[in-house]
Amino acid sequence: MTAIAEQARRKREQRPSDPNNSVMIGQGRSTPYLFSLPTIIVVAAVLAFPVLYGVWESLFRPEILGAPEEWVGLQNYAEMFQDEMFWSSLLRTFIFVAGCLIVGTTLGLLFAFALFQVIGRARFLRSISLGPYLISNVAAALMFRILFNSQFGLVNGLLGQIGIDGPSWLSQPVTAMLVVIFAQVWTDLPLTILLLLGGLMTIDRSYLDAALVDGATGWTRARYVTMPLLTPQIVISTVWLSYSTLTGLGVVLALTGGGPLNATTTLAMDMYLTAFRSLEFNRALAIATFILVLNALLTLSYVRVSRRYEVAL
Amino acid sequence: MVGTKARDQAGPTVRGSSAAGESGRGRWVRRLVLSLPLIGLVLWTVLPFLVTISVSFKTKGETFANYNLIPENPTIQAYQQVLADPNFRAAFWNSVIVGFGTALLTILLAVPAAYAFARFRFRGRHLLLLLVLLPRLVPSLGTMVPLYRLAAETGQLDKLTTLIFVYTGSLLPLAVWLLVGFIQQIPRDIEEAASVDGATLWQRLRSVVLPLAAPATITIAALAFREAWNEFTLALVLTSSPGKRTLPFELFMLQTGQGIANFPAEAAFALLTVLPFLIMYNRIERYMVAGLVSGSAK
Repeated sequence: MTAIAEQARRKREQRPSDPNNSVMIGQGRSTPYLFSLPTIIVVAAVLAFPVLYGVWESLFRPEILGAPEEWVGLQNYAEMFQDEMFWSSLLRTFIFVAGCLIVGTTLGLLFAFALFQVIGRARFLRSISLGPYLISNVAAALMFRILFNSQFGLVNGLLGQIGIDGPSWLSQPVTAMLVVIFAQVWTDLPLTILLLLGGLMTIDRSYLDAALVDGATGWTRARYVTMPLLTPQIVISTVWLSYSTLTGLGVVLALTGGGPLNATTTLAMDMYLTAFRSLEFNRALAIATFILVLNALLTLSYVRVSRRYEVAL
Repeated sequence: MVGTKARDQAGPTVRGSSAAGESGRGRWVRRLVLSLPLIGLVLWTVLPFLVTISVSFKTKGETFANYNLIPENPTIQAYQQVLADPNFRAAFWNSVIVGFGTALLTILLAVPAAYAFARFRFRGRHLLLLLVLLPRLVPSLGTMVPLYRLAAETGQLDKLTTLIFVYTGSLLPLAVWLLVGFIQQIPRDIEEAASVDGATLWQRLRSVVLPLAAPATITIAALAFREAWNEFTLALVLTSSPGKRTLPFELFMLQTGQGIANFPAEAAFALLTVLPFLIMYNRIERYMVAGLVSGSAK
């Protein structure tokens, strides 16, 4: 076996100019193309082409009453920017994303630190914390609908125990947004925890021990030693969380459908309603393109930040 | 290792003071404070599941009567109702077909492609790899309306094959990304030895590369199955008739149905949907974790 491998290596070294040279048989010139082409075609058909097609279609007006499709340039965008609904949706998106970031990052840090304390001893705790990753957005929405139900929900039941008359969470604008934020964070938190926990595990213990020797314990050490070392992971999980919430549709759609009174209609929800309720596809595509641009800006900042901290993508 | 962690957690001061003979109460309080976040983590994750399990074992009447976690008269009525529902059965089998179909197709396409990118040096290699990997940044929100329009124009709406095709496409960038890295780590010598022994390319792929890349392949299969099993918004848009819906879509229809909400049935439906994962979870957890971390941009 080793003799054969040795023989092969020698053969390869004889012709170093040709990187493809090897003793392997059955490798024609067209083989790599035949191998990779099906994947390239499917990815192009399902991801790349639809996105470009969507951007292209957002420049048209649909056929009305037999009149053919008409090129209108940026008119759909001009109308979108004049639409009050767009600006209010954008504002709600901002509140939604910011709310998810604050709640998600805070809880993610808290839980990651907690898991790190017992690492190696309580593996089942990490398994439990991944639970939300296994269920669909619709099932998660149902769980929060039960939890925050105004008549029999556990939240209002416990509030009642301490003498507070709980609100009808999902039928009032402000509280509905709160519940949607919590449900969205609940579904996204497993990854946040894993990213942060991974970061904590890579921190060189000697830093922590040195801090300990200098008398820094508990909060001081977490705040001035661990947190700065954890910055790359905090940034990555933050940007991932904003990507996921900015383009997140499933939880909102299944939990509130954008209601009550549009109180939870984010841009993603606005796009969905414009396309599949009002059937104004071209206008919906203008909104989608706008979200994609916002998202691309986020991704760029992701790459930039990753580079600055020398984190591999 | 465990010893150091335990020391860090309790802190040297605590150890010192207890050695000095102070009552154990201070340490006990400190332990409690330190474990509060853990208790919070468990409550945060488990409570939504618990209330749902609780409701699924209640009658419709009892659901609205109180918020107790333990039902007064536990009943499996809701489960019987869901299991007897032809819509649930149809959706279940559709999800099974789409789930396994997506996992299988993703592996069938990704393994040869990843092998080509990892092992061959061919013209346009970097550009083609970029063409596969870059679309990973596209969120499904951006393809939703265009895919609907394209499927409508080509008569592919309301078909399970369309769902399999779409889910496979959206998973392939991640799958190729994971597999290329994995296959590159397989020593070339092993393959060359097999080749000298007369193994053709297909034989090498099947009996050398695939077994060695098994962990990455299982990760991809698990991710693909989960995505197809749980994906909701694209299924909502690309399918419509009762016989073609997947489980999340059917659960959504149950929620938005007319009349008083039947919470026990919805809860039982949701839990039956999660059940396959809970059964397999112990075996696939580490693959899921690997995939989850590397798939963070999805």
